[in-house]
Amino acid sequence: MTRPLHPAAASAQPFQVADLRPTERLFEDPEGQDRLEKVVSRYPEKRAALLPMLGYAQERNGWISDENMAEIAGALELTPAYVRSVATFYTMYNRHPVGRHLIQVCTCISCHLNEGQEVFEQFLSETGTRAGEISEDGRYTVIEAECLGACGFATAVQVNDRYFENVTPDKVPAILDELD
Amino acid sequence: MSDAANQITLTIDGVEVSVAAGTTLLQAAEHAGVVVPHYCYHPGIPSRPAQCRMCLVEIEGQPKLQPSCVFPAGEGMVVHTTSEAAEKARQSVIEFLLLNHPLDCPICDAAGQCMLQDYAFETGQLRSRYAEAKMVLGRDRVADDILYFGDRCIVCTRCVRFMEDIAGDNALVVAQRGHKAYIDTFPGRDLDHAFRGNIVDVCPVGALVHEDFVFKARAWDMDAAPGICPGCSTGCNIEINVKENQVVRTKPRLNTEVNSYWMCDHGRRVLVMANRGVRAEAPMIRRAGELEPASWNEALAWVAEELGGSGGVAVASASVSNEALFYTRTLLNHLGIEGGTFEVEEGAEVTLAGFPKLKLRAERAPNATGAALHGYRRSEGLPEVVDGASLVVLGDALAEAPADYGANAGFFLYIGSHLPPAAGNATAILPAAAVPEMEGTFVNYEGRVQRFHRALRSPGVARPAWMFLSRLLEHLGEGTGVREIGDAFGVMAAGTEAMQGLTWGGLGLRGELLSEAGHPAVAAE
Amino acid sequence: MGYPYSHDLEVGTLLSRHLGDEKARTLAGWKELGGYASLPKALEMDPDAITEVVKESGLRGRGGAGFPTGVKWSFMPKEPNGPHYLCCNADESEPGAFKDREILRWVPHLLIEGCLIAARAIRAEHVYIYVRGEFFPFSGIVRDAVVEAYEGGYVGEDILGSGWNCDVTVHLGAGAYIAGEETGLMSSLMGGRAEPWIKPPFPAQSGVFGRPTTVNNVETLAAVPMIVAEGADWYRQWGTEKSPGTKLWCCSGHLQRPGTYELPLGVNLSDVIYEVCGGDPNGKKIKAVIPGGSSTAILTADELDCSGCYEGLAEAGSALGTASPIVMNEDTNIVQAMRRVAQFYAHESCGQCVQCREGTSWTAKILQRIEEGDGTFEDLDTLYHLCEQMTGRTICPLADSVVFPLRSSLDKFRDEYEALIER
Repeated sequence: MTRPLHPAAASAQPFQVADLRPTERLFEDPEGQDRLEKVVSRYPEKRAALLPMLGYAQERNGWISDENMAEIAGALELTPAYVRSVATFYTMYNRHPVGRHLIQVCTCISCHLNEGQEVFEQFLSETGTRAGEISEDGRYTVIEAECLGACGFATAVQVNDRYFENVTPDKVPAILDELD
Repeated sequence: MSDAANQITLTIDGVEVSVAAGTTLLQAAEHAGVVVPHYCYHPGIPSRPAQCRMCLVEIEGQPKLQPSCVFPAGEGMVVHTTSEAAEKARQSVIEFLLLNHPLDCPICDAAGQCMLQDYAFETGQLRSRYAEAKMVLGRDRVADDILYFGDRCIVCTRCVRFMEDIAGDNALVVAQRGHKAYIDTFPGRDLDHAFRGNIVDVCPVGALVHEDFVFKARAWDMDAAPGICPGCSTGCNIEINVKENQVVRTKPRLNTEVNSYWMCDHGRRVLVMANRGVRAEAPMIRRAGELEPASWNEALAWVAEELGGSGGVAVASASVSNEALFYTRTLLNHLGIEGGTFEVEEGAEVTLAGFPKLKLRAERAPNATGAALHGYRRSEGLPEVVDGASLVVLGDALAEAPADYGANAGFFLYIGSHLPPAAGNATAILPAAAVPEMEGTFVNYEGRVQRFHRALRSPGVARPAWMFLSRLLEHLGEGTGVREIGDAFGVMAAGTEAMQGLTWGGLGLRGELLSEAGHPAVAAE
Repeated sequence: MGYPYSHDLEVGTLLSRHLGDEKARTLAGWKELGGYASLPKALEMDPDAITEVVKESGLRGRGGAGFPTGVKWSFMPKEPNGPHYLCCNADESEPGAFKDREILRWVPHLLIEGCLIAARAIRAEHVYIYVRGEFFPFSGIVRDAVVEAYEGGYVGEDILGSGWNCDVTVHLGAGAYIAGEETGLMSSLMGGRAEPWIKPPFPAQSGVFGRPTTVNNVETLAAVPMIVAEGADWYRQWGTEKSPGTKLWCCSGHLQRPGTYELPLGVNLSDVIYEVCGGDPNGKKIKAVIPGGSSTAILTADELDCSGCYEGLAEAGSALGTASPIVMNEDTNIVQAMRRVAQFYAHESCGQCVQCREGTSWTAKILQRIEEGDGTFEDLDTLYHLCEQMTGRTICPLADSVVFPLRSSLDKFRDEYEALIER
């Protein structure tokens, strides 16, 4: 992005991305400071910036460590315990590192009716992993997801910030090839 | 009382009650003598999530059962807390709560005082229909002295909300969600708040337990007596739990004027630790240079005979009762001893954010106000004893004294429950009951006179100091001996300006404020 | 028209006309297509007059509950003593529903315009568009549209020279179905766990940040610009007396042409399934349909001849919900399908209310056991008991949501349960 981030957009950056720039600390560089200020400026209470900032931690590091939580707590004047309570409530915040490509296969009802379970198992066997594991080459983590909101395009698969739709088991190898 | 115009009349389980507008159905039910079972609601915690769904009641005209902990009473409302639908819902909540519960009541410290156990017995079913494997969470630590048994937890969040609403330290939270939810701290940041122990008291089940109480006593093996915490000058109302004549636990007892439902962790330890130390068990008198035991009659007669009216010094503890201080004062007057001093240990003050009147106060003794009221002077260090002069010591005032303190006194009368090394220099030792072993009163920081009750038996023949001092004074021709605490209090109140009008019975369990006249805090200004 | 397929029965209002047209995503393209025509009109109207038009149009909330939108707006205080907020609920996560996603990704400016008009009506100074976290690509489109709208003077200070200020912020969720419940959404927006709260206080009294708030669904807000532009009577040319207007139907499951279609309310459900969507892709018989998203009662193939509107589906024993029929053909194992639905709700329960926290997961476990052939007839009684105790007992309707499909499947497909038990 060449233009500076518009404050109205600061709370809506994808936080599951493949091109990570892992840095342990979030707010020690201008980028982190800028994000924090812009996000906080959009709400009457600092606490409301919590979800966007958890997202920011994941956007940078791929997952959210205890250290990042404590750092966010400090920045938003919350207790680390509170931040942890919120972070563990939402399923999209990775509490452990994941592969560069987080493959979420929807197996909820409409996808279930359209081979969702089979697609999920196909991804597991193609990547040689068990659910939630990082593949040996660090590229993939495959998990089962609840409804991804693409029921008319079953089976829906989300890989980081991309959607793959109408996936059938036989399309799985091609999708993996496409993911560098 | 409240304005009649703001009164609402409704019927709960056939009983008509009148309550103030804004009263919840659960509170209104209490007026009708009906207890609506509940878990997440706690009268001392302001937030009301209405999430345990245990207090659902049927209201005529309402399609759904409503949570009585938040539903406001309405004029003419007809409420049924035990209708078939309400009972069935409650039974169902119990069944849900027990699905993954380990049913480890035989080793659970809450057994016998457990709201889950009680309601399960009251409304539950004999057999669970749950055929699935139980989830196992195991045990965790939330503070250096508090354990969390996750499998017993019903996630009512009382503990979380105590920390947030009352302690003002959001350090305990619900982690995860849904059926995987549990209570936790942030890794490496256990609770260190000075009032954290209250989370154990508010826990309606056995999920949170003080580590020093684990496996120590069954609820039904303990006796309980109302007491006043001796930990500081706040005078928190407490319940003292006793097993085999040992204090095993102290818990806060409601007094909305003093401590609400809470007490601090410092206070919780004082009485439990007081089980330690060498006790004075029998009167001792020094004959031919040696201290030897004597009967009460012999000892009192001997002391009355030997004690001279030659002046001297006195030192009292600010942790003894008003009655002991008063009768000792009378004795000192008889002996021509002016003043008398007391010393109070000081510590850091900690305020409970959600009930700021409650503080762990800097003054770490329960009755400094009482000591001042009875004419003792606050000082640092012990008074110097002139060779050959009299020395009177009341209570645990010599714990830190050098071993030879008082050895040069002409007559050294030691009235106390414990025997520090310096007590060995006494001319006579009169063994006093310790505070939990007797009835009496303290005056707290704001001048509230509060009664405490007897929780323990005294060792040997130790007696309350007021009792034997009144007899000693009778020997000396001052008044008559008293045997009842009420009489002792009456004599004291009659002889103490700020206590005029107070009666033993009138103090009740809430206490009464001193009258302003003669109040040491007022007099000092 | 619909996306990715269209059909003759469809009505092509602004709601669906530009689905699939990338041009609609940019401000310039959208203006070319006639966008932002209603906002100037709304800016000249009294806020209460906007509410009145929407009230007269009979527009009902498209998030599932169907509460009349204008009535909801009228609950907001008329004389603000501090900020008001509008929350656009784009946390679309009801299994079966994917209509809001099409609005977000194809016509973001339509949504922004709807948000602004609604904000004007309820005197809100800030609009939060709460988008479910999984929708990164779509929230990105909305986000870029919002920035463009700021730059074009449609959002921000002194909007179109009217002197009126209103901000719009796109806010991402992070994976919680319950954030789609309005109080859960507000809890989440305030930086908390998405735990619903017990009403009162109602959002219009004390909502997000303790201020009067209205929460509206994406599709509801997207319908507002055309209602303001064309009038209530125009909108009422479609639909029924009680369910006026058009609705995005999103159809999934065993269908030849699954997707989103704009159809008038009151359309025959069986026409939606067979005519519009072409029935099963392989010509198999349809066994059952969950008509309004997974939280509605299941209908058998014989019950599909009913009016696709709020009252029509209620009469048929189910609900319109989000108008998201999930279609199951004759090969479907109903018990397995119900188990999958129950697992979803067990996974998404926030865990506050005991009935929901424990009941949803117990239900899923029993269904799993029956599916695996280890069920008993007592289990069926237990399931009925759970249905009873999970209905109307909790703060929010999540527990009820599993009951509707479950109880109806027990009633209508008991033979399938019994066959698995007897096996």
